Amino acid sequence: MESGVLITQYGMACRTDEMHNAGQSENNPMRPSLPRYLPYPAFVGLYLLFDWATYIDPLYGLNITPWNPDPALGLVFWLIYGRKAALPWFIALLAGECLVRGLPAGWPLTLLSSAWLIVGYGTIGEALRRRFSSGDIFDNRRRLAIWAVIVLAGTMLNALGYISLLSLTGKIPPGEWGAAALRFGIGDMVGLVVSMPLIWMLVSERGRARLKETVWRWETLGYLALAMFVLWSVFGSIVRSDYKHFYFLFLPLIWAASRQGLYGTALMVFVLQLGIITMVKWSHAVNLQFYELQLLDAVLALVGFFIGIVVDELRKVADELKHTMRLAAAGEMAAALAHELNQPLTALSTYGKACEYLLERGESGDILKSAIGHMIVESGRAAEVVRRLRDFFRTGAMQLEIIEASALIAGISRQFTPQFHEHGIELVVGQMPALAVNADRLQMELVLRNLLANAQDAVLAVPRGLRRIELSVERLGGGRLRLSIEDSGAGISSTLAARLFEPFVSSKASGLGLGLVLSRAIVEAHGGKLWAEVGNHGIFRFILPLAGTTDSQGEYGEK
Amino acid sequence: MVKSNLTVFIVDDDPAVRDALGLLLGVRGYRTAMFASGEDFLQGWRREWAGCLLIDIRMSGMDGLVLQRRLTELECLLPVIIITGHGDVTLARQAFKAQASDFLEKPFDHDKLMAAIDEAFSREAETRGRLQRQAHSLALLDGLTPREREVMQLVVTGQHNRDIAPLLGISVRTVEVHKARLMDKLGVDNVADLVRISMLDA
Repeated sequence: MESGVLITQYGMACRTDEMHNAGQSENNPMRPSLPRYLPYPAFVGLYLLFDWATYIDPLYGLNITPWNPDPALGLVFWLIYGRKAALPWFIALLAGECLVRGLPAGWPLTLLSSAWLIVGYGTIGEALRRRFSSGDIFDNRRRLAIWAVIVLAGTMLNALGYISLLSLTGKIPPGEWGAAALRFGIGDMVGLVVSMPLIWMLVSERGRARLKETVWRWETLGYLALAMFVLWSVFGSIVRSDYKHFYFLFLPLIWAASRQGLYGTALMVFVLQLGIITMVKWSHAVNLQFYELQLLDAVLALVGFFIGIVVDELRKVADELKHTMRLAAAGEMAAALAHELNQPLTALSTYGKACEYLLERGESGDILKSAIGHMIVESGRAAEVVRRLRDFFRTGAMQLEIIEASALIAGISRQFTPQFHEHGIELVVGQMPALAVNADRLQMELVLRNLLANAQDAVLAVPRGLRRIELSVERLGGGRLRLSIEDSGAGISSTLAARLFEPFVSSKASGLGLGLVLSRAIVEAHGGKLWAEVGNHGIFRFILPLAGTTDSQGEYGEK
Repeated sequence: MVKSNLTVFIVDDDPAVRDALGLLLGVRGYRTAMFASGEDFLQGWRREWAGCLLIDIRMSGMDGLVLQRRLTELECLLPVIIITGHGDVTLARQAFKAQASDFLEKPFDHDKLMAAIDEAFSREAETRGRLQRQAHSLALLDGLTPREREVMQLVVTGQHNRDIAPLLGISVRTVEVHKARLMDKLGVDNVADLVRISMLDA
């Protein structure tokens, strides 16, 4: 185990799973090299500090306080070091009894009860270690739930044992056994629930980096300030109103959780707890109800963590989806561009070959010169295609140009002619008014290609002779044009229409189900919209803003 | 370099590709003719054109496969080499079904292109030669008298002169005379060749 432990910058240690990250930072010349044994005294010191700072409102002068973040520190230590954490923890407990509380129970009982606590905490620690032997505890809902269950059950059982021990030895009045156990258990539980995630994040290099990245922004100050304000205003009324207004604290919590996920929540919850403790001390509002407040706080923390983790998970899925979409878009664009690239490449290699023969023949005159000139033009044409592909997928930038709708449609239907012909599909292009849009030609072609491919698939389901696809463009008011693609296929049912534009919903065996999603995204990026109409035949339409009126000298007419 | 009466007819709607092909083939000593569309080619086409066709499959207006089909309908003898931007198997199959001589992917390997053109040329020459021989044989068959034709039909079924004679009601000697004359007229000296020519006689 020793070899698996690396000491990090702050004297805490990383487990083997963190080696990767820690190993990277080992190359960092700024990193001070700390002696191996340092984490142990550092742990004891920190533990004592926690103990001392949170030794508030004790019951019978014993270590029965409403908030014990120290076991959280201990458990994180245990998670990293395993059973080797037992001795330092035991020492820290004893030191706490001596220095903070002045040994209220006497040496023999203190030794016994501390040993009992170490066994109890150790059991929780081992249970957690077994469950989370690899990877993070706080990275999905299931793991969070398992952690919460282990912590809740563990602390309560531990409290029962510990208080029974104290009660048997007469340190606690016999009738108070239940209340004391509850208070101690709640104190530990709240301490663990509220502090452990944050401490866990802080001990690893990766966790610290992510925490900083997540919460190091002005917004954090915003929700913390709101939390403090709410706390301050609520607190004045708490004693009198039985926490009637405690729920207001959900506002800053949900703010933090929804914006910054688990990391923001961990900070928020910890700060909130500090605030509550401060308020309790400052207002001297100490009474038994404080424990109820703590319980509310623990629930608040758990709710926050679950929201935070859901937010994190959603964000992760969204990022993955975005990535996949980009890849798919790149794939579709690449297919569209293959044809465009092929022409100049063919011309280029052919000119090149011709030049080779010309040189072989000893030709050096105008023919050679003009062939080379052509080659330069053609490579420019190829480079343009590549540049646009790169631009689009690096920056998502569109290259807008004025395009005649008729030219666009002519270009795309040309590409489909062989396939349509093969399958006996009749393509009807309606009357084309001279309308121009300001659009990215490649992207618009991608949209049309997708829609035509879908239409083709739809009509293939009907017998030959009935296969018909109609393209039409009309001018709408408000400087817009509407392009419709109708096919003689079965059409879109209302159930399908509802899911049509969801990614990865495909009615085709070989489809990724991204075509329509991409198409819609592209059309919307052009300031238009794309939709399907429910009907007895397939109807897709999209609207694009017009680029203003154009003269009707379209090149399409010449072709 | 190559037989000067053979021409490579290039049909491609991309001016750069067309021009480059024209240059390359021109430098290699081929005679070329270029067309921007299938319609243009059909309009200009003459039956006596010889050589081969280089057709891009994806063109505005009439696509390559349609042009190929139209030419087959017109009984054009020019072998067709189809060029395509993507190696689409279904398109290739269709092209070959319609008797394409070759199927090349863009951007092409120029040695393959030359080989394809040369093969198309020889295929065309072969077809043309066969047709010429056929036409010649048909002309010879026309020179036979009805009786000679009757004798020929029976000879090619493998019957002996003495079997044919009673069928036609003439003497064996007369059958022999007819047979010798018709073989002389058709320029054949054995029955096997006679059978081959007689098959042209519908």
